[in-house]
Amino acid sequence: MSYGGHDDHHHDHQHSHWGPHDWDHGHGGAPHNSWAPIMIAFGSSLFLLGFTKVFTQTWDDEADLWTYAIHSSQIGLLIAGLAIFSAGITVFWRQDWSHSGSFEPKAVGTPFRTIDIRKVAIWMFLMSEMMVFSSLFSTYIRYRTGFDNCVSLFESSIEPGSTVVLEAGQQCWLPASYFIAEGGYHQANAHAALGFMPDTLIPGAINTFALIVSSYTIVLALKTAKDTTLSDAERNSKVGKYLSITLFLATLFLTFKLIEWFVGFEIGDKGDWYHFYAPSLSADHFTIHESEYTYCHLYDEAAHACTPGNEAIFDIRMSASTFYVTTGTHGVHVFGGMVALAYMVLKAFRGGYTPQNAVSIEYFGLYWHFVDLVWVLVFPAFYLY
Amino acid sequence: MIGSMNKSRTLGILAILLLAVAIAPSAQSYPTGISGAQDGGCSCHGQTPSTEVVASLEGLPSELEAGATYTLNITFTGGPSYNDNANPAALGGFHLWVSDGVLAPVDEMVQLNSDGSVTHTGTDKADTGMGNDQRNWTVEWTAPMDGGAKFILHVNSVNGDQTNGGDMWGKLTADVGPQPAEQASGLTVLASAILLMVVITLSCILWVFYRQDPGAFAWERFWPWFSDYITSTDHKKVGTLYMVNGLFFLGVGGLFALIFRVQLAVPGNDFLTQDEYNQFFTMHGTTMIFLAAMPMIAGFANWIVPLQIGAQDLALPRLNALAFWLNPAAALLLFSGIFSGQGADTGWTGYAPYIVSHTAHSGATLWVAGQILIVASSTVSGINFMTTFCTMRAPGMGWMHMPLFSWSMLIATLMLFISIPAFGIGLIQVLLDRTIGTVFYEVAAGGDPLLWSHLFWYFGHPEVYVVVLPAFGVISEVLSTSARRTIFGYKSMVFALAGIGIVGFIVYGHHMFTSGMSPVLRFVTMLTTMLVAVPTGIKIFNWLQTMHGGSLVYRTHTLWALGFLVTFTLGGISGMYFPAVAMDLHLHETYFVVAHFHYVFVGGIIFGLYSGIYYWFPKATGRMMNEKVGILHFMTGFISYNLIFWPMHRLGIQGQARRQHTYFITTDEYFALPPEAADWNMLITIAAFMFFASNLILVYNMISSGLRGQKAPSDPWGGWSMEWLVSSPPPTPSHDPSNLPVLEFAEIHGDSEPGFFGKMIQWMMIPEDGEDGGEEE
Amino acid sequence: MGEHGHHTILGFDRYAFNFWVLMIFTAIEVVAVALTFSMKGTVSMNTVVFILVAVGIVKGVGIAAIFMHLQGDPDSRVLTATALFPVFFIVVMVLFIGLTHPDAADTLPAWCRPGYYN
Repeated sequence: MSYGGHDDHHHDHQHSHWGPHDWDHGHGGAPHNSWAPIMIAFGSSLFLLGFTKVFTQTWDDEADLWTYAIHSSQIGLLIAGLAIFSAGITVFWRQDWSHSGSFEPKAVGTPFRTIDIRKVAIWMFLMSEMMVFSSLFSTYIRYRTGFDNCVSLFESSIEPGSTVVLEAGQQCWLPASYFIAEGGYHQANAHAALGFMPDTLIPGAINTFALIVSSYTIVLALKTAKDTTLSDAERNSKVGKYLSITLFLATLFLTFKLIEWFVGFEIGDKGDWYHFYAPSLSADHFTIHESEYTYCHLYDEAAHACTPGNEAIFDIRMSASTFYVTTGTHGVHVFGGMVALAYMVLKAFRGGYTPQNAVSIEYFGLYWHFVDLVWVLVFPAFYLY
Repeated sequence: MIGSMNKSRTLGILAILLLAVAIAPSAQSYPTGISGAQDGGCSCHGQTPSTEVVASLEGLPSELEAGATYTLNITFTGGPSYNDNANPAALGGFHLWVSDGVLAPVDEMVQLNSDGSVTHTGTDKADTGMGNDQRNWTVEWTAPMDGGAKFILHVNSVNGDQTNGGDMWGKLTADVGPQPAEQASGLTVLASAILLMVVITLSCILWVFYRQDPGAFAWERFWPWFSDYITSTDHKKVGTLYMVNGLFFLGVGGLFALIFRVQLAVPGNDFLTQDEYNQFFTMHGTTMIFLAAMPMIAGFANWIVPLQIGAQDLALPRLNALAFWLNPAAALLLFSGIFSGQGADTGWTGYAPYIVSHTAHSGATLWVAGQILIVASSTVSGINFMTTFCTMRAPGMGWMHMPLFSWSMLIATLMLFISIPAFGIGLIQVLLDRTIGTVFYEVAAGGDPLLWSHLFWYFGHPEVYVVVLPAFGVISEVLSTSARRTIFGYKSMVFALAGIGIVGFIVYGHHMFTSGMSPVLRFVTMLTTMLVAVPTGIKIFNWLQTMHGGSLVYRTHTLWALGFLVTFTLGGISGMYFPAVAMDLHLHETYFVVAHFHYVFVGGIIFGLYSGIYYWFPKATGRMMNEKVGILHFMTGFISYNLIFWPMHRLGIQGQARRQHTYFITTDEYFALPPEAADWNMLITIAAFMFFASNLILVYNMISSGLRGQKAPSDPWGGWSMEWLVSSPPPTPSHDPSNLPVLEFAEIHGDSEPGFFGKMIQWMMIPEDGEDGGEEE
Repeated sequence: MGEHGHHTILGFDRYAFNFWVLMIFTAIEVVAVALTFSMKGTVSMNTVVFILVAVGIVKGVGIAAIFMHLQGDPDSRVLTATALFPVFFIVVMVLFIGLTHPDAADTLPAWCRPGYYN
């Protein structure tokens, strides 16, 4: 342990090529102090404490059940934590604001020799992110292979000429694709306008294209930022525009995700050529809380009810949990990207991304493409299959 | 040049310290002697007393006569014994405990327990007659010579179907005579002790601040000095913070251990309730692994790695500070439940489905939240260290030229940040299960508790290597320096580390042999676990050979390294019992397991880290440590450590179960523990106190040597790696960025001709004609 | 950094080329699912899964190689090695956690069960 407040800053005041923005603001290679770490750390601690206060279940001894409730009166801690966390992030980025790409630290040793240290770091981060999503997919695969599929369970239980008797609340897997890619039991209603695919797939499909387009716009931003043929003003405005479009597409992504989860939409009336009907997943009772989901194997369109003898009560909370948490984790990554993009948009319009500093966009882009890549896996696994 | 003003401030600090000691409630562990089943009831027949069964205890006097003998009559009414007893011969049982005085049976219906309590006879299931067929019993009690006594009576109304289920319990407490003052509960003791530690730590900080320059002491300078530390992103200061944090929580974890060792010192003790005991061993494990061992390792890594590989700092200094500060932030959450008596009681593994059940304490939610921050911290520091290793080694230092401590940190970091996301995801699932109500581990919804075990141990087993590999690295450095030669078999050491790193990921199933997981996986992990012994053995033999070919200088750090060799090898050998599935089924959840992993964790990691403290202390502070005090620390520490954990092997084989709040010396064939177990447990507890005290010697040594020790030269031990190039304490930045050290005699450690991996790396490298290519090599 | 983005693929700008490839393959994905939907019973689920996996691989490689610069840059080889490094650990995880069926003990072959060798 060191006991001294050794003041060793004096010995080197020359600028060295070893002065990354993380270390050097004119201190000759000495790392500068920052309040950001301590704020971020205790902010997140407070946030989690508030989170557990707001979302506290109580156990109902009589019913032998959890009761779920949101204690919104307890939200103070959560907001305070979030505020401190955000302030910490702001301090962190405030220190980066002036970074112009000079003194970008480069790797010395093999095998990353001459590569920017930041680039290596972001790849290391992506390695750990790969493990995050592998864990989620392992969970998904384990449960997907371990559960009976509800539809096949129902079909295999049918005896010719008899009414189906299934144990109420039987656990089985009703994939999200049943609601999204097949339109649930609204199938008959679903293809009023599109015909070839259910309306419930529209948000997911738009989102997929939105992410791909946003991946393209971020590389365009990079390409523009590196373009030395443009004038500074022209470049700043173009880079800013591309980053703004990326931010807009990310916002679009989350908006459609929330629509698909909670809101749903119906445009026009039944019979109109422009009739789009996509109830939200929660409206279709695909939720983590409802232990008794009424599965309808054959929906009677005329009677607006399930054909008698084609109903069963299933417990599909597990498929809902894996779906919401996996796609939710992806959504949180998109949100994190949005926060970073907001900072970058501001910086871009103020001329922060010159050809010298364009790599900053590339390193954010690596993360952003990774989020896109995860969606490439999540989309078929959860929305289509 | 201490002015009178400063003297008075010094005295003030001391006064605060004394006051803190004085106001802390005195902890009386068992002022009323050894007790019986007091709060939890008889653990063999279910836990909650029923209100239906009414016990009565007659014959107690209203005025107590000292030393007199009273005849007590015990009866009960209600319960299955009265209603619909299937076997009228089996009527009931009782257990009477008294805090003072002597109980004695009158007839053959009653027997005396070894803890002084009395119970009915006929507890043996083959012996259905006698005391177990009664509804009333008579005992004699001789009153103590002074003071009163407290009686606790449990009665059992038996349903007679020869099983434990269906019986009902009644409980009665009675006080006679003057009662002793309320005894301190375990929680009070813990809270006071932790408070005391906080006060002492703060006092130490003030003292250190004062002592570094007494002449220029001024309170106005304190806050700038202090805030410079807490906002610092310099790897040395962050490393110091890590070490302070780690040592503090090592003490807290030790306090947990001491308190439940008091509980376990004698059979049938009730110093801690079952509830408290569960929380204490949970927090002991969590604190020791996540808040003591890992921060201390990170502290070493922070201090030494940049110095050793010739970098000016870590790659991402601010994230480094963030990784540190997430630790105390997490500690707040981890501990927040325990002082309201609602701390996590799930064990450090937090097994599902208990952790998502309503019976787990509400503090378990916060425990999970705290662990999530620990995961974040490890991920951030993992990225940081990996990047540093990969990009900032000094010119000329190839992979095969890195000192072994750096190599071990590289492998440990790699394992940590590859494996910890699995744990993080598991924790997030549990947190969501407990808060918003997802059903990942809800058995009613088809949740699979084994998934948690898999996710936990996918991280948890590599984690074991994460904490032990850095100790290997320290030992390699210390032994080669002390033996005054290069390490024997450098390349094989590196490949052994890498081998452990890879194989360590496919062995975790051995933690789950009894869980009913896939038998194929059981078989696979049995083989791979045995395989891990090979690289570990290579390392042990290389160390031995290093000493054999060298000429050993016995310093304190050498002694700790030798101690490490002994204890770690013993821990490794006892570890070899577990991969064998059949043996593991037998030894699972016994003290044999406790003995094994403490031999590895304490004898491996903590000894290694102590060795590292003595080895690098002069480098970090510029002061030599006191060797005499150090040797005293080693002698007391090593002996008391072995006294704690060696008998546990024996206890485990005799059948003492871990994670249970008490045990009984009984002739019951199902729970038979021989009487000697009580003696061993008492010995362990005494040794635990000795071990704790021996660590205070270290703290004392660090502080006093840090302030008054002899000035250290830049290379006091004759070490060769780059941290000994810079002055002690090192400058900031640690190596001059414009004049980085160059490793010139790299071939000490290996051939200069690239091998297979070298060629692979060369192929992957940026071509020499690249933008800056070829400049550094 | 090395040189970026001045390569072309089949005469197109590589980013634009990759972008359109991704768009087309995503459309294939959606169409494949739409086919199962509108021609229920005529297209087998296995075919769809096969298409989804194949398209997923193509899209993933496209994003990684071109958008994430794992192809064509001086540092591509070493970064590709970095990106592929976790593959072993992911395989272990998926095998050990994902594919060990919870009821595996019940589905043991007969020769593995007690009583077989009586």
